[in-house]
Amino acid sequence: MADESVEKKDESAEGADAAAEQKEEAAEVTSEEAAPVAVDVPAETVTPDIGFVKDVINSGGADLKKCYQCATCSVVCNLTPDDNPFPRKEMQWAQWGLKDKLMGSPDIWLCHQCSDCVAQCPRDAKPGKVLQAVAKMTISNYSIGGVTKALGNIGGTILMAIIPIAVILIAIAVQGNFSGIPRPGGEIVYSEFMDIYRVIDPLFTIAAIFAVIMFIVGGRKYWKDMMTRYQAAGGKVPAKGFFANLGPTLSELMAHKRFRECDETKDRANAHLLVFYAFLGLALTTAWAVLYIDFLHIESPFALSNPIKWLGNISAAAGIIGITMVIIYRFVHSEKLGMGSYFDWLLILTILLILASGIGAEMLRLADLAPAAYIVYAIHLMSILFLFIYAPFSKMAHMVYRLVALVFARATGRDVGVGV
Amino acid sequence: MAGENTASEKATEEAAKPKLGVYICSDCGIGDSLNLEELEKIASGQYKAPVCKTSAFLCNQEGVDLITSDINNEGVNRIVIAACSARVNTDAFDFDPLSYYTERVSLREQVIWTQEPNDENTQMMAEDQLRMGIVRAQKAKPPVPHIEPISRTVMVIGGGTTGINAALETARAGSEVILVEKEAELGGWARKMYRVLPERAPFEQIQESDIGDRIKEVEANDSIRVLTSAHIDKIAGEPGKYEATITAGGNTTTENLGAIIMAIGWRPYDANKLEHLGYGKFRNVVTNVEMEEMVTAAEGKVKRPSDGQTARRVAFLQCAGQRDPDHIPYCSTVCCLTSLKQALYVTESDKDAGAYIIYKDMRTPGLYENFYKAAQDNPGVMLTKGEVLNIEEDGSGNIIMEVDNTMLGEKVRIEADMLVLATGMETNMMPADRDVNDLTPEYVGKWKETETQDGIIKEVIADPVVLNLDYRQGPEMPYQSYGFPDSHFICFPYETRRTGIYAAGAVRAPMTGLQAIADASGAALKAIQCLELTSQGKAVHPRVGDQTFPEINFNTCTQCRRCTVECPFGALDEDEKGTPKTNTYRCRRCGTCMGACPQKIISFNDYTIDMIASMMKAINVPDDTEKPRFIALICENDAYPSIDIAALNRMKFSPFFRFITLRCLGGTNLVWVAESLSTGVDGIILIGCKYGDDYQCHFIKGSQMCNERLGKVQETLGRLMLEAERVKQVELAMNEWDQIPQILDDFAEEVKGFGPNPFKGF
Repeated sequence: MADESVEKKDESAEGADAAAEQKEEAAEVTSEEAAPVAVDVPAETVTPDIGFVKDVINSGGADLKKCYQCATCSVVCNLTPDDNPFPRKEMQWAQWGLKDKLMGSPDIWLCHQCSDCVAQCPRDAKPGKVLQAVAKMTISNYSIGGVTKALGNIGGTILMAIIPIAVILIAIAVQGNFSGIPRPGGEIVYSEFMDIYRVIDPLFTIAAIFAVIMFIVGGRKYWKDMMTRYQAAGGKVPAKGFFANLGPTLSELMAHKRFRECDETKDRANAHLLVFYAFLGLALTTAWAVLYIDFLHIESPFALSNPIKWLGNISAAAGIIGITMVIIYRFVHSEKLGMGSYFDWLLILTILLILASGIGAEMLRLADLAPAAYIVYAIHLMSILFLFIYAPFSKMAHMVYRLVALVFARATGRDVGVGV
Repeated sequence: MAGENTASEKATEEAAKPKLGVYICSDCGIGDSLNLEELEKIASGQYKAPVCKTSAFLCNQEGVDLITSDINNEGVNRIVIAACSARVNTDAFDFDPLSYYTERVSLREQVIWTQEPNDENTQMMAEDQLRMGIVRAQKAKPPVPHIEPISRTVMVIGGGTTGINAALETARAGSEVILVEKEAELGGWARKMYRVLPERAPFEQIQESDIGDRIKEVEANDSIRVLTSAHIDKIAGEPGKYEATITAGGNTTTENLGAIIMAIGWRPYDANKLEHLGYGKFRNVVTNVEMEEMVTAAEGKVKRPSDGQTARRVAFLQCAGQRDPDHIPYCSTVCCLTSLKQALYVTESDKDAGAYIIYKDMRTPGLYENFYKAAQDNPGVMLTKGEVLNIEEDGSGNIIMEVDNTMLGEKVRIEADMLVLATGMETNMMPADRDVNDLTPEYVGKWKETETQDGIIKEVIADPVVLNLDYRQGPEMPYQSYGFPDSHFICFPYETRRTGIYAAGAVRAPMTGLQAIADASGAALKAIQCLELTSQGKAVHPRVGDQTFPEINFNTCTQCRRCTVECPFGALDEDEKGTPKTNTYRCRRCGTCMGACPQKIISFNDYTIDMIASMMKAINVPDDTEKPRFIALICENDAYPSIDIAALNRMKFSPFFRFITLRCLGGTNLVWVAESLSTGVDGIILIGCKYGDDYQCHFIKGSQMCNERLGKVQETLGRLMLEAERVKQVELAMNEWDQIPQILDDFAEEVKGFGPNPFKGF
């Protein structure tokens, strides 16, 4: 406990001023007060849903039913709160097909898939896999179920991929670039292949807005469901809501502290952190490019000496290293923990494709290798579009649901007892 | 056989002229730790043993040949082997017990391994142990076995799974069998089951019962006679010589029997006592037995009683009465498995149906863990621990349960179409109108008060249930707990406290059909073994092969009935006056009767009150107060091997103890206490088995009887002006062997505190 408070202080000291620190302490106090009290809560009627049980089994939780409730998983888990720990109770809920309880639980997303429980489970029920399957079902529950389901297998993925591929191909066709490359024999300029103002900007803005709206709708509903369940269990409405708790949660995310609590797969934290910062870096690069191109009207491509190129290239390098580490670790741990689900691999490979095609497009451009450069660039755009459109339905949605769950846990004092 | 008889007759003649041979082994460090010449002097000098030899290696062929040659050439017939524990090298020192008495003096385990080598006290201990061994051999006579023609027919009572399998096993082994069933048809519960638990590896799938095939096998077997709609009016006699009067289908016959297998099975706990769980109150609350009948009737469909609709949500409540002090205090072991089986009926009856099992703890013993796992894998089988607070019915007949302390994390309400109460098993040993919380001690019966000149005496008159034994102790067997019969439950499951009658199946403990089949084989083998031993005049478990038996000198019998009352096996009947009547083949040779007899008139050829008393007197008690003497009476079943194990671990203890082995502490006669204390012995410790509810005594009540008798020793000690603490009984289990030094040394220390026995030197 002492260590914990010291750590918490350090964290807020990083976050600069003393006022913030006080604020955070105050927030902690209120959240403790708001913690659920187990007095005179009326018995809840449970309605077992066998269809849901079968869904979990078919979504990656194949060994769900093996659990005999010994709670080894909850004991070995370093991420669970001490009070009502997961994943033992989630295993029982899932066995009984109690969908509502699972969908409205923050704990599903507090799990970071360390797989400590998977390695230690005496009955090989793989609790981590079950939570993963339930998490996937959360994504489907709060978005459009059919799309998530389609992204869970290769056939569906191909079908879904038709949209971004077709859109980019149409864009190329409309600009008349199928007949030949711009400036044949000359410099490669991607903005002449894909017009920034008329194609890139509107296309990706629309895709991004779509994703954001889907996320806001899903995230809000998730928050509401969690709050309903929390209050039903006797919890009081926390004094500070989503936005007040967002800041501290984000600052915690920056260091991936929770992720590092894992025992079996400690190394995964660094890999994920690299990818995480690569995405931040690339997002920043994009914003910077928008500033240059749309506001300052500086034409791309930018010189390699330009700081925007430094940021972009370093981020891309970090990303490719990170995602490669992710893949390697999956193989390293496969014997003990399995290879992971298709749903996971789709995201990993999409990111790999985006990064590889991005770097490839840049290198081919610098090497002056048209038309290969344009083809790779087109693939790059297609994969980004794929990621954007399907972010709310794919594993990518974890960034939103996990964030919402972490904020909720902080708001309701659910993360008390975790060594973060 | 004829030759053997002649040999034994000759041996009897020779036994009249005992000739002692003492053999001392110097191996295993005995020669290095003791002065063996002094030991030889005691044998040939003090006891005038005509033959006394020291061997460097007594248990090898050369050593054994030495003894055999003396037997053949010198006529040695009382053999004292002063070497190692009586529990080892039994194959080497195996001389015909009908011709020769062999006494083992444990110099190795009881003396040199537990004492300082070449010490004066160690030497004195060895000398005393030898003296006692010689006295024992001098006083012993080889037994003359009691052999009579016997019947080898085995009667199996109960025609359910256990009885049918026991009958088949017994018949296959070559015995004639009479299978007695009270119902009109064989098959018992198994015939009423829709499916049974898995009976084959990997123990995952429920299966159809094969009881029909077994019944056909029984009917086709010429060695098995089946009596249905039968009732046993009376069983008189003893193993090998039972006479049973049986009424079957209106005809009464008398059968000569050798042994009996009691497989009368179980009955469900009376659910009418479970009103708090909704039974009898709500239409859709049924017991597991009723569930089985319903599913059998509906050919596998699970339909609820109120409206005959398919039940898609079926709740099972485990421990419906079991592990509840107000109902069945024990775990019935099969109900968890039965509910898992019936849960599979539910999911097979309708693929979208769910079975909700609410348990205290899932208990699926042994390989049935596989069945548990397999059933658990079924998406429709849902399990949670929980405690039912309340059960209600709604307007449409649905059952609503409020359950607390669930694995689901909070108090929940579970709604179900019907509720199955997993009720437990009771033994059919209990009369139908009794249950486990309504039993009289030891025998199930009724209290009877009789006015005598000593005041009102309250005793239990046992109710007849099935055996109707013509025994002094009553018509049925005593029970240990909850009505189940037993005799040393842990080690000897099929044994009962009536020799020749073996309990098998759910009558002796709740069990599955598969366990019952194994039980049936075990009991069949025990019955056959009993007949084989009985035919040779030998004892059954635990003194297997013992050919001695208690003999009573009726001239001085006062008809006090102590022996008939105390015999744990009902071996002694009595006439109206109270004169004991022996039934040799019922006897297990523990000697409890010998210990009980105040007239000291019960004895065995090689085990008498005088023998033990003489051994005590053979101990050399010095006047030196620094050298106290303690006698340790040790039970041969647990205490003796415990000392061996302590010795094997080279644990040291006081050198002032002298060990005398008893068949059972139950044979302890109080006369020994008085006589030994009057010779100057400072204290007596009796080490026997644990007694009480979780007794470990091989003779059930021996150590307890001894303890009761010692309660009366106070008077004797008072008369001698001695402290009561000089005599102490200790309970010891074999796994507590490491406590031996502590027990002995503490006792020595405590008695030392009283000062020396004032009778020293008289």
